[in-house]
This record gives sequence, C-alpha cells and structure tokens, in this order.
Amino acid sequence: MFRNIVQRFLLVIPTLVGISLVIFLMVRLLPGNVVDVLTGGDVTITEEQRVTIRGQLGLDGSYPGQYFDWVGGMLSGDPGNSFRSGEPIGDILVRALPVTIELIILAILIAVLVGIPLGVVSAARRDSAHDYASRIGGLIGVSIPNFWLATLLLLVSSQVFNWVPSFSYVSIFDDPVANLGQMILPALSISVFTMAIVMRMVRATMLEVLGQDYVRTARAKGVPRRGVVYRHALRNALIPVVTVVGFEIGVLISGAAIVEIIFGLPGVGYTLLQAIFNRDYPLIQTTTMLVATTFIVFNLLVDLLYGVLDPRISQE
Amino acid sequence: MSENETQEGAGSGELTRKELVTRAGQVGAGIVVGGALVGPAAAATGGRRAPTPKRGGKLTFALEQDPVFLAPFGQILTSGHWGKEPIYDSLLEWDRKLEVQPALAESYTTPNDTTYVFKLRRGVRFHNGKELTAEDVKYSFDLQAAPPLPGSVAVLGQFPAIDRVEIVNKYSVRILMKRPDASLIGYLAWGRYSPIVPVDLYKQINPVTQAIGTGPFRLETFIPNDRVDLVRNPRFWKRGQPYLDALTLKTLPDEQARVAAIRSGAIDGATFLYDAARNLATDRNLNVLRGPTAAFRELQMTLKGERKPWHDKRVRQAVSAALNRQDMTFRVYGGNGRPSGHIPPGYGPYPYPVADLRNNYLKFDLTKARALMAAAGQRNGFSVTMSTFSTPQDFPALASVIKSQLAQIGIDVRIEAQEPGTFAANNGRGNFEWDLTARGMRGDPNGYVAEFGPASPAYKAWYEGGWDRPDLTRLIERGIATVNQRQRTAIYRQIQRILFDEMVQVPLVSVNKFQVFRKPVKNMYVAFTDFNTGLRSAWLDR
Repeated sequence: MFRNIVQRFLLVIPTLVGISLVIFLMVRLLPGNVVDVLTGGDVTITEEQRVTIRGQLGLDGSYPGQYFDWVGGMLSGDPGNSFRSGEPIGDILVRALPVTIELIILAILIAVLVGIPLGVVSAARRDSAHDYASRIGGLIGVSIPNFWLATLLLLVSSQVFNWVPSFSYVSIFDDPVANLGQMILPALSISVFTMAIVMRMVRATMLEVLGQDYVRTARAKGVPRRGVVYRHALRNALIPVVTVVGFEIGVLISGAAIVEIIFGLPGVGYTLLQAIFNRDYPLIQTTTMLVATTFIVFNLLVDLLYGVLDPRISQE
Repeated sequence: MSENETQEGAGSGELTRKELVTRAGQVGAGIVVGGALVGPAAAATGGRRAPTPKRGGKLTFALEQDPVFLAPFGQILTSGHWGKEPIYDSLLEWDRKLEVQPALAESYTTPNDTTYVFKLRRGVRFHNGKELTAEDVKYSFDLQAAPPLPGSVAVLGQFPAIDRVEIVNKYSVRILMKRPDASLIGYLAWGRYSPIVPVDLYKQINPVTQAIGTGPFRLETFIPNDRVDLVRNPRFWKRGQPYLDALTLKTLPDEQARVAAIRSGAIDGATFLYDAARNLATDRNLNVLRGPTAAFRELQMTLKGERKPWHDKRVRQAVSAALNRQDMTFRVYGGNGRPSGHIPPGYGPYPYPVADLRNNYLKFDLTKARALMAAAGQRNGFSVTMSTFSTPQDFPALASVIKSQLAQIGIDVRIEAQEPGTFAANNGRGNFEWDLTARGMRGDPNGYVAEFGPASPAYKAWYEGGWDRPDLTRLIERGIATVNQRQRTAIYRQIQRILFDEMVQVPLVSVNKFQVFRKPVKNMYVAFTDFNTGLRSAWLDR
C-alpha cells in the first residue's frame, strides 16, 4: 500500500513538468503577445518602445531562460508579478482562491445532497413516475450548458423576484448570510451537470447492487426495505460516486470560470480568463499550473480513497 | 418612458423606446482645443432650468471591463482609466461639451510658440491633505514622460513634444516644448495620460491598488476583478461637489448580468449595446441615455509589398462609393449612428459636416463605383481577405454587410474574425490585406491623421513603399505646429479632403453609445471620450 502511494506521488512529478512545459509554450504560441495587448493596438508605438517593454517584462531572454526563471520562482514560492498590474501573483491567487474553492465546495454539496437521494429513489422505485422524472431531469442536467443556466437564473430572478445576488463579493468570514446569498445561484449553475452525473451513477450502481446476492440475503433475513437500500446497497453503490465526484472537480473548475464572469465573482477562473485576454504570461502559467495541480492531486486522492473504500483494489 | 430629464452636453439624451428604434444620431460635440480658458467649469444649460442637485447617497456603476490597476501613468487601454478617473485631475479638463476648462490650473499664457506658463489653483488639497504645488506638477510630468511599472512606455506615442517642466514659483510652472506642438492643450484636457499626483507618490503607496489624487472621490478599496470603492472627497476644489457620498465601480463583463442587475436595482447604471438598451427602455424605472462618441468604424487597406488591385486609387474610391453607410447603420446599429470621416463627427470644428459626407465625400453611388472599377481594369472584381475583431459582435455583423455591399461591384470579401489580441498584433505589424477596425478618442486632431505621414511607425507598417503623398505629409507637419484654431481647422479640412480622395482608409460610420441609469440618478451624460465623466458630478434624487 505504502509503495503504491509513493509510486503514485512520483508519477505526479513528470506529469507536472510536462504540463508546465506545455503551458509555457502554449501561451507564447498564442498570436498577439503581451506587448500588443499593452499597447492596445496603438500604431504610434515604435520598435524601440516595443523592445523597452519586452525588457521591462523580462521577455528579452531566451525561452529556456524564461522557463527556468518561472519554474525556479514557483518552487521558491515567488512566481513573479503580473505583467498587467505588476501585483505579485501570489497575492492575486490568495485573493481569488477562496472564492473558487467556496464555489466548488458549494457546488459539490448541492450535487451530492440532491443527486444521491434522487438516484436512490430512482433506483429503488424503478420505472415509477419518480424514476422517469429523475431520469429526464438527469438528461436535461447533462445537456444544459452552465453559462446558459447561469444567465437564465439571473434573468429569471431579476424579472420574477426583482432580486439578484449582490455583485460585490463578500467573504464568508465577514458576512456568512450575504456570502451564501451571492454564491447560491452561481453554485447551483455549475452543480447541475455534476448533480445529473451523480444521480445517474447512483441509480445505475444501485440497480446493480440491489440485484446482488447479499442484498437478496438481507431481504430474506427480514431487514426492512429502507435498511436494505441505505445500509447494505447504498454504501457499496457510493464507491464509484466518489470517483465521479473527484473527476468532476475539473469540470467544476472550468464551469466556474464562465460563471464567475457572469456573476462578477473575483475567483480563479475569472482571473485566468482575464489573464488570457491580457496575455499575462506569468499569471496564465501559474494559475493554470495551480488548476492542473489541483486536478492531479484530486485524482490521486480519489485513487487512494478508492483503495481505502474497496481494499481489493489496493491489493490488486 | 415617463418624464424626460433635461440632458446637457454633446448630443447625449434620454430616449424613448420608439426613438431608440427610429432615430439616428444628430448632435455633434463642440471642442475648443487650444486658446484661452473660458471661465469656471459650469454646467451647460439645457432646454429648461436644471433642478438643484441633492447631496448624499451611494451610486453603483457597472464597468464592462476591469481597470486592472489604478496606477496614474502608463495605462493605455481605455478601460484601464475608468477606475482612476474619479480620483485624479489634470491641469485642464474638458466639460461635457468638450470645451477646455480650467482644472488644477486656473489659467495659462503662451509667451512664445514653445513655452506655456500655467498658474495653479491655490488651496487645492490631495486626498492625503497635502497642498498642491508646482513641485507636484513637475514630478507628475516627469513620470508622464517615463511611466514607471506597471505603466508602459506605450503611452508615449500620445505624449506631446515636452522638453522639460520648470518650477516658476510655488503656484506656477513653465512647460518648455521641443518644438511648437498644439496637441499639448488637448493632452492636458483629456486627462487620460496627464493626471497630477503628489511628489513621491510611488514611494508613499503601492500605485497598483492605492491612489492619492485631487479628484472628487477618494479611493477606499480596489479589489481587482471585483470593484473600486470610492468615497466623497470633502475638500474637492469644486465647491459643493461631488454630490454623492460614495461611488462604487463594479466590474461586470457579462451584459446579461448587467441587465439583471440594473433591473433589480443591484446597480444604478451601466453601459449597454443597442439591443439591450432597447429592451431596457421599456422599464419605467430606468432612463436610457444615448450619445455620440469618438469611436468610429473604418475599412483599412495595406498598400505595401506585392501590388494588389487596391493599389489603384480608383479601386479604393470605388469601394467607398459602393458602401451604403446608411444601410450599415440601420442593419447593424438600429439606425444609431452616422457617416464618419477620418476625424469623427462631433470632434469640434475639424470634421466635415455629416451632410457633406453623406451627399458628397462619402456618397453612396453604385454606378460611379462600377465605372471606377471598370476604369481600373477590375470590371470582374477580385477576392480579398478582410480581418476584423471577433468581439464586440457588431464587427462581424458589419463585416457581413460590407461583404454583401461590395459583392455588387464584384469584390469577393472573405471575412476573418480574429480574437482582439491577435487582431491588434496583425494590424500593428501590417499583416493583413484589409482590416475592418475602429478608431477611438484622441487628445488632438493630429492623432487621427499622423499615421498617414512617413514619420509615423504605422505608416511604415501599412504604406511604406506603396503609397506616398508628400503634400499630405507637409500638411500634417503644419497642423501639429499651428496653434491658431481657425488655421488649424482649415489645415485639417484640407488633410481630410486629400484622404477622401486617396481613400487608403475608408471611414464608415460613427456609432452611438448607450448608458442606462435608474431613475433617481441625475446629471449623467454619455461622454464623447468613452470615459464615464458624468459620475464625477452625478447626484441621486431620492
């Protein structure tokens, strides 16, 4: 088991190196560099001024030099400053991270708290009206783009209820009620897809588990139906759900980027998109590395957790 | 919509839904660049007496883009100035009619063509309590000439030919020019690149997220990608102003979010595209303001390298004659625009009247266009790639209209929509055949025509070796060196006549900007400069 964990951790290193190289090269292959963005297409800029700007931004060195400067900075905890604002990237991410983390946690909570019961009911009452309603809901859930749903929720709430969430971000530690008020619609918007996936996965695995011998045995022993479903079936059916939720982190992060822009939330996704538009190389690189690392770490944790939940896997 | 509010200024006004659908832009802005100051900045009068402003309240205005940083110097993008605009002042300012008014300078004299002496307003205090003196002005100009990070030297293309700034006494400065340069006054009045800050500002604060100015609002907090919170500066040099206790500038890039927010009252005002503004006009709690801005669209051609059909002037003239600008305005902008020359309508006395453009210089005449094509040996037309911005959406839409109109003279236009950063890069380097692009505000008319002279880096990228008009170059040089307003107007009219004949850039239409406010917001107007200057003196009728 320990060896397995060490192996998995060691595999993460080349993965991260590969990702850092790809990110570094990709931002430089984007047409239109940061000098073009900084000059706003101003045609009065001379070539000498362009050279000066490149020097100020540290872009006059070779690509390998720039790459090692950036990686070295990241490893030492200082990935540099934003090209556009000059602000330390660490400060920018410290400000943006709590917003996105909270958004994703809320989205997962909504997805799990709604998706699992729906999946259970749907499986336990197969081919009932509940089942059909949940399945149709699940189909819609995986089909609706989250940016569309976010816009719809916003417009409906303003038109019908004359209410929209506050657009000025308030930390949960400063005002929990106001914070939840402004996070609920964005979290709901990005949770629907994951919710539908969880519901369908729970339903499918529950149907499989409910047909197993040990469930039949439990029933034969006279265990009440509720006990069979929740104590015997659901516990085993949840193992694949853990995997799905882990993989959905990536989907939620990408969904958060768009939804943060729609709701004006200053999170990581918003920061990353703005950085891309601004060709803010160090900010793009560092933020993307952060997202990629988060994704890898969650996948790793899911793999390890999977082994804990089902010891047969780690033995294999 | 209910009762109309008196609107003042450069053609801005409150609109009914019907007007939004049916009317095109009408009114131009006056601009006096150069010359004496015209007394204290006073509100222009509208059709009836303006109500007495009320003090107090907080206004939240949504920005379409994040300002990124508040550093006073070296920010080139327009959106980058929106956050700091209420915080800083310059020596001069434009009023809503774009007339030059005194600001931190009470007056100025010009002993000779290359010397300006500015007398500072006494008793002006920065937000930190320090008094404004000539030392601060000199420090500010030194930084304007060499913007520190995160500012960029990219703004120096707009910097006038200032040689040095000398302190005459505590309340007077002398600006010495390298050569006669009439763009100085517009540069100062625009305020975009010329804010005045206290000495050693960059040592006192982090100018990225902090600010000390003399403006009507003092910075409380700036959270990038979120908001700028401002509070009233009780020592503002315009007595009694600002009227608001607090002003928040909230970044909301998504237009539908701005629609929902203004309907529900989460924000008090924002800028919208025509379609959204038209829908919001039905809401009785909202006022829709419309106004012309300096932004106009144009079709640009490269005339260097391998000879292409449009190297022949007659082909370029044919293109202009085949373009129906009125049709463009109605199909893309719902009628909210007007034909524009190389200097946009509303930019003071310099542009030709719209009627002249419509009936003469930019007249739609398909028969003439076909004849010109035939005379140039292009009866069967040709194919060309026209690049444009992928966003905002009006650019691809306008490109489609141009494609359909030019098909009538046999020109097959292939449209290539590019992400704005890519487009800017290609345009700046001359990597295009045709570009559908836009021009924005300039501090001086020279800013609209300098690129046609060989001294400009743009000329080298777009025209070098393929097109040259020495007489135009001489006129451009005379224009920037001439201070007399009447003579300048004549020179810039002459320059435009040459450009209408050459058509190396084919000006299209100037479009209106829409801003929507909740009913209690008063004294707002759509600024010609594309800033939100009205926020400095807006008030709430609650």
